[in-house]
Amino acid sequence: MNFLRSVLVFATIFAFIGISNTATADKLDDVIKAGVLNCGVVLDFPPMGYFDKDNQPAGLDADYCRDLAKQLGVKVKIFNLTWGDRIPSLISGKTDVVIGSTSDTLERAKSVGFTYPYFVFKFQVISKKGSGIKVFDDLKKFKVGAPLGTTYETEYLAYAKKMGWGRSNYTAFKSENDGYLALYQGKIDALISTNANIATKLATKEFKDFEAGPFVPDYDDIVGIIAKRNELAWIQYLNLFLIHQIRDGRFAELYQKHFNAPVPPEMIQSLRDNK
Amino acid sequence: MGDYEFHWLIVYQALPQMLNGAFVTLHVAVFSMLLGIAFGVLLALGKMSKYRMPNIIATAWVEIARNTPALFQIYMAYFGLGAFGIHLSPYMAVLCALTFVNSGYLTETFRGGFQAIPRTQYVASWSLGMKKVQSYRYIILPQMFRRVYYPMTNQFIWSILMSSLGILVGMGELSGETQRLQSLSFRTLEFFIVAAIMYYVITKLVLFSADIMSRRLFKGEI
Repeated sequence: MNFLRSVLVFATIFAFIGISNTATADKLDDVIKAGVLNCGVVLDFPPMGYFDKDNQPAGLDADYCRDLAKQLGVKVKIFNLTWGDRIPSLISGKTDVVIGSTSDTLERAKSVGFTYPYFVFKFQVISKKGSGIKVFDDLKKFKVGAPLGTTYETEYLAYAKKMGWGRSNYTAFKSENDGYLALYQGKIDALISTNANIATKLATKEFKDFEAGPFVPDYDDIVGIIAKRNELAWIQYLNLFLIHQIRDGRFAELYQKHFNAPVPPEMIQSLRDNK
Repeated sequence: MGDYEFHWLIVYQALPQMLNGAFVTLHVAVFSMLLGIAFGVLLALGKMSKYRMPNIIATAWVEIARNTPALFQIYMAYFGLGAFGIHLSPYMAVLCALTFVNSGYLTETFRGGFQAIPRTQYVASWSLGMKKVQSYRYIILPQMFRRVYYPMTNQFIWSILMSSLGILVGMGELSGETQRLQSLSFRTLEFFIVAAIMYYVITKLVLFSADIMSRRLFKGEI
């Protein structure tokens, strides 16, 4: 039958992709030899990554890219990624490293190599003032949204499932900005995001009628830098880079610059302990 | 992709969720196509009409639908209308946008179909005492659909593939579900390959059933 035959041909083509295996040179050597560090950042996630008023990549993650390139003695090329682009960009070799606030779950670590943690977020709710969302369990009665494919989406959905809330009140958005736009327009009552991002948004005049609400219970979002899983020497180097950022006070300096507040001592301590 | 190791088990475990997404894709594509055909016929008649108003409406519709990206139209249906306080659900927004674009393209296809029918057919039906509606219902439309059958299936495939843009507004169709699932495990390549195969199978299935249906409707003489 024609239909079955064409499906079979299609499946065979993809089966071949699985075969073939060649050794690769060391990524650390590659970057130094190429003289360019291709660094992926999610520039839709202030203050970690965003475009400044001159349309240049800015934020803590972008500054980490520049610091890393400086230590390596190479030029930096920053790629703007969506959350979903992070892994494909590494696998296709478009980026050498992704400094993109990536939560270090054990499930993901089966696919991609993580460094030590370099930042800790809390997941939080943002909603209109007077919406009546006091504790996290209040969300049951509200329309909730979150950006698609983020750890906070996963955490919210897991919690909602545990509490038996169902999916009908939930909407996923392709990007962080679309989520905020939907909240602003009143399509959703509450958005799940990170405390850092919410604080940045609340400082803008568009969100002056909004407030930061309860935290997602029992969860610290601990994020690492990611690279290809098999590039052990490269990941080792990135780990040492992170240690130096804290030891040399550069992390505290950048935190102050991007968050307008001194870095909490517990965050420094937990990063030192690699927790 | 020399050093990439494929893990397929995790995709296998997530198949029920992906199939759910595939169902939403099929659902929105079929409905937007049926609505698109209905609007397309009306607009084609409007475009050929000697009256001004239907003509202007149909021309504006076709011009906008065909010359702007579907992505933009979905965005407008969801966030654009939202700015005016009209809140469509993600599903409704995608359905409206796809219906809009489908009918825009089909209008031109149908117009070509109508014009390919010899004038004598119209005249003959009137001479039999048929009213205008009757002559369209029994004589003109069946012949028109027969002529535009293949371009119409083309549009159907487009509407299936375009529904993947529903990911933009969180519709939870095949692309959206795939994106969510891959972000849990970062097994992007595996999930995307399986999603691509699913899209392929869906379009093949749709073409297959359209073929069977056309044999029934047109008695095998397309």
